[in-house]
Amino acid sequence: MKVYSILILNKAGGLIYQNEISSGLNKLSANDYLVLAGTLHGVHAIGSKLSQSISTTNNLKNTEELNSIQNSNILSFGKALNPNNNKSGLQSIETDFFNLYNFQTVSGLKFIIITSPNDNFENFETSNEIFRKLYILYSDYVMKDPFYSLDMPIKSILFDKNVKELFR
Amino acid sequence: MSDDSIIIPSTTTNSLSKLTINDYSKTGFGYNPSIGTQSNSINNIETSNLLISKKQIILSTSTIPIYEKLHLISKKSPIEEITLSSLLYLFSEIIQWQFKNSKNINDLEARLNGLGYKLGIKLIEMIKLKDGYKLLKRDTKILEILQFIHGPFWKFIFGKQADELEMSQNNNDEYMIIDNLPILNKYISIPKDYGDLNCCAFVAGIIEGSLDVSGFNCNVTAHTSTTDQHPLRTVYLIKFHSNVLYRENIRN
Amino acid sequence: MSNSYYFTIIGTKDNPLYELEFSSFKNIPTTLPSNYIPGKSQFSQSTKELLPFIANSSLDIIEDLQFSTNLLNLGKIDQFYGLNINGYITQGSIKFIICYDSTKDESNSIKQFFQEINELYSKVLLNPFYNVNDAIISPDFDLKVKQLARKYL
Repeated sequence: MKVYSILILNKAGGLIYQNEISSGLNKLSANDYLVLAGTLHGVHAIGSKLSQSISTTNNLKNTEELNSIQNSNILSFGKALNPNNNKSGLQSIETDFFNLYNFQTVSGLKFIIITSPNDNFENFETSNEIFRKLYILYSDYVMKDPFYSLDMPIKSILFDKNVKELFR
Repeated sequence: MSDDSIIIPSTTTNSLSKLTINDYSKTGFGYNPSIGTQSNSINNIETSNLLISKKQIILSTSTIPIYEKLHLISKKSPIEEITLSSLLYLFSEIIQWQFKNSKNINDLEARLNGLGYKLGIKLIEMIKLKDGYKLLKRDTKILEILQFIHGPFWKFIFGKQADELEMSQNNNDEYMIIDNLPILNKYISIPKDYGDLNCCAFVAGIIEGSLDVSGFNCNVTAHTSTTDQHPLRTVYLIKFHSNVLYRENIRN
Repeated sequence: MSNSYYFTIIGTKDNPLYELEFSSFKNIPTTLPSNYIPGKSQFSQSTKELLPFIANSSLDIIEDLQFSTNLLNLGKIDQFYGLNINGYITQGSIKFIICYDSTKDESNSIKQFFQEINELYSKVLLNPFYNVNDAIISPDFDLKVKQLARKYL
């Protein structure tokens, strides 16, 4: 699986980070990336409303409720029971030309990767592994940077460098 | 807020170090600088009986005072470890707090330096005692104290020795301590428009404070000097005042 | 009559941080005579008034020794009309001075006393409300110093 591009969206759906890891996709204009981010955010939100009626096994209403349960788990047990709470909403788009995977964190932050298409079912697991590593990098190099303000574009040089190293 | 939730430091009154001539200790213990030796001299039989009986006495009502616990110089007390994350979140908040108050980048560095300075003048006392208690020696020469800071001092704060200690080739009053991976800077990216800001100005302050209080007046500044292998490599430039070198020459 | 001691801690700017007058706790008679308080300083009033000056006049000697010897304990550094003066200086230029009116040299027990005070002083520094060169007004510190005095002197 080859990762083409990474996008990070803040909780309002704004694009705060975008990185072309390897060529293979057509370049979009900066404006188009913003539109893409907003669209994906919207689809995810609608998707999580849809899944409410589909997943009758758990009576959860939406991602926000999932997140609050996740948070209370962390507070009472000291750890998250399931690090991937990405159970509702848009998870992946698979086409003949590319695959797109989406991961939402407890605070509503979204990591999106666009990869080469692959029929292999292990792809989903691999993407989870990538998301985990990206999340670690984000919490280290972005959240601990005193010069980063929340929900604003990520300009950290060290984060950029480490993301590049992750896919080398 | 109820009264007992307020933290009152272990002083005889609520005011900090502002004891007046009218403040008398209720327990008979505690020095009052406004009164002098009259304030804490042993004047009654109760006080001296307390001292003669070998019982453990605790004046504070809430907790055991720090003087009773913690043996700084015993071998058995290991260096306590804390998580890197909590340390760096705290450091990040300190920088944001100081950044809000500062006028420009130089001002921010000066403020961080000042915070470190306060820490340094306290730390050197404790680390020196921990390290050299058996020897009962002080460091009285420039090279000795620099080696101490480069070695045990660094190890106590950062868990490792500093990487290099160099003397400047051009000026004989300048020395450099080099850290290839300053732990406080590990996750900090300096924005391009912030010039050559280095948040290790805080560490520079610690060094300056500990040298100053030991009688080696100096200025310490932190500079980033990137190499391919070590992108965060930081050089602490220590410039001693002329009177320190003058004294060193006379004493040798 | 037991020996009397005047102990003082002097800061980096030659400012006093702490003072204590006491007398030796050794050789306390088993049956205490009336009006006898063990540990009460027995300096005469005129000496009491002079003690801070005597201690401060030895600061010059300590300052000279600070960079000519690398010992923490400076031993007996001066004497003044039957008063012996012992000094100790920490890495952070904090001076401990004892003036005592003993005929024999008590440097050894004073040395142990100083070392314990040095550890106690580093604990004072752990108090976030304490700044270097503030007077040490903590009653717990005072109590510990007196207990050390009882133990060693």
